[in-house]
Amino acid sequence: MIILSIDTSCDETAVSLTNGRRVIANSIYSQILIHKKWGGVVPSLAKRAHEERIDAVINETIKKAHFDSRNPFNSIDFISVTQGPGLAIALEVGIQKAKELSIMHNKKLIAVNHLEGHIYSSFVENSGGNPVRDFSFPYLALIVSGGHTTLLIFKDHLTYTIIGETIDDASGEALDKGGKLLGLGYPAGPIIEQLSREVGNKEYYTFPRPMLKSKDLQFSFSGLKTSLLYFLKARKQDENVMQLKQIASSYQEAVFDTIIQKTKKAIKQTGINKLVVGGGVIANKRLRNLLRALVKEDKGSVLFPPYPYLTGDNAAMIGIAAHYKAEKNMFVENPDDLDRIPRMSL
Amino acid sequence: MKIVPLGNDGIAQTCKVLQKGGVVVFPSDTVYGLLCDASNIEAVILLQKIKNRPAGKPISVFVADIAMMKRIVRVHTSQEKILNNILPGPYTVVLPSKQVLCRLLESEKGTLGIRIPSYQPITQLIHTFNHPVTATSANTSGHSPFYSATSFLKSLSQKKRELIDLVVDGGDLPKNKPSTVLDFSASHVKMLRRGDVSFKDAYTVNTSSEDETKKVAEKLLQEALQKQGEKPVVFVLKGEMGVGKTIFAKGIGKMLGIGSVISPTYVIYYEYTTNHPFITTFIHCDFFNIEEENEFEHLKLQSYFKKGTVLCFEWGEKAGALLFDLQKKAHVVVVSFTHKGLDKRELQIESYFS
Repeated sequence: MIILSIDTSCDETAVSLTNGRRVIANSIYSQILIHKKWGGVVPSLAKRAHEERIDAVINETIKKAHFDSRNPFNSIDFISVTQGPGLAIALEVGIQKAKELSIMHNKKLIAVNHLEGHIYSSFVENSGGNPVRDFSFPYLALIVSGGHTTLLIFKDHLTYTIIGETIDDASGEALDKGGKLLGLGYPAGPIIEQLSREVGNKEYYTFPRPMLKSKDLQFSFSGLKTSLLYFLKARKQDENVMQLKQIASSYQEAVFDTIIQKTKKAIKQTGINKLVVGGGVIANKRLRNLLRALVKEDKGSVLFPPYPYLTGDNAAMIGIAAHYKAEKNMFVENPDDLDRIPRMSL
Repeated sequence: MKIVPLGNDGIAQTCKVLQKGGVVVFPSDTVYGLLCDASNIEAVILLQKIKNRPAGKPISVFVADIAMMKRIVRVHTSQEKILNNILPGPYTVVLPSKQVLCRLLESEKGTLGIRIPSYQPITQLIHTFNHPVTATSANTSGHSPFYSATSFLKSLSQKKRELIDLVVDGGDLPKNKPSTVLDFSASHVKMLRRGDVSFKDAYTVNTSSEDETKKVAEKLLQEALQKQGEKPVVFVLKGEMGVGKTIFAKGIGKMLGIGSVISPTYVIYYEYTTNHPFITTFIHCDFFNIEEENEFEHLKLQSYFKKGTVLCFEWGEKAGALLFDLQKKAHVVVVSFTHKGLDKRELQIESYFS
């Protein structure tokens, strides 16, 4: 079952071709930019100009898969697309294109929630079928990204119950903006990771753990960001620069400790000690180690996306989630009716 | 006629004259005013005589606070929130009279114009007198108001000068325009006269918690919805990181029945559909991630500039040309946030409505 998937939920124009859980071809516009495979693409082009590049990214993906270039859609069974959550105008471009392809080539259409993609990202296989990971439900799923911080029970295929999520900023946003306050540019998540590692990922200063006292599993990071701002303002700038790594490390620890403590609480509340984690922040090795240590306490397990490109926004993960939807005959009844849901929930 | 300088003694003497039913020339936040006891019919008739004011033309009154206002006019709960927000300030608000003051002050429709000025001497006076006094400008009908007590007196005939018991001289007043008159007696707020703040009114609110910031947002939205008419409402939120812009947007969302508002930084904006009776769509934008102005072309925000939409722009200062476009198409409220301590924030609010 071969599925062409499109994800245009935010900045990336992402397209994939998948077969079951295997990725045949995967393209993300920003990667293509680096390779500069075709002319006429200006790197300074606005990030959200999906409309101008969607066709090129689709063609590139089909080319990578070595499908019959004259009739590539003969090799494709279904079209899938991200319906939300995301930026309305961006989602619309992908949905419009998916509808068009679905109708033109008479292929059934599958609508996927972007968060489902992140949940399934740990189960994506390369074209050779690796890594081999069998499903062993139920899982506790954690999504940590620039736009989301969500805890949910992944009970069975396509069956989720949200048990906690952020009420303001996402964890990735907290790191990115914290870095901005430290003068590290934006987004600064990866730089913070590096600086923290250089000083041993220790906590030199104590920043508040938002919402830890609350009994529920909701997250809040905006107060932490503000406490960093006040911390920096209260000290001399020279001091802040001298202690940059120590402050970055302390701040990152506060963000991650919040994630860990809430996840720990979720494990306790649900009794589920098998974790799957997705989203851009899980590219961070410190967080991976902290999560590994956490599940070790409970003799549990944790799965991360097996390849780096699967942590960020991509269409491969959408294709895998779509595969399970196709197996259950969950197709869009009338492609013309499909509309974006910018604040789509699971 | 006696002339005394402004001060505690001037205020004490004014109270005495008012109690006896006399008329006093007194400075205000806008122009020199003619003051008399608003319940004393003879004093009001005297005032009309000095002003050459034809009977039937309403005369506004000064009150000390909203509580005193509610004793003399009918204030709806929703209006009270707005009034709390704009008063004290250079406004005359028109509301249905409870007919407790001299009826000569009312309009033909039975409404009364009320002022709570942001001017300490008047506030002190009304608190001391503990009763509303007239707030009409010290000029004869149809002539310009006066900014100095002496120039007003020069304009009067000897006969009229004798009708005035006391002049409290506050020197030359800054050339502020007369107050802006807002008619709250109709279902929609109408602007009857444009004072200094006509096109743009600005004031400052201090909050000391996230909840308070949310409440300001709720009040401002309520106020904007009364004024918006056929236009969308746009909140342009300015201020540095961590200052409470998303909190404010959550307050707007809450008011529209949306409990799930989260930071849209990553995606630039989230679109919410609401169950609100007049507002169908809430667009929550965050331009933090915008690097170049041409990126706005791809966001197509203009398509949301229509009736029934409320928009919030975090990092609104980055919107550039878009804002210029907006001033014509929308009711714009600019909220500039400043840190004043860990939980304390100052919100400077400028409202543009044409």
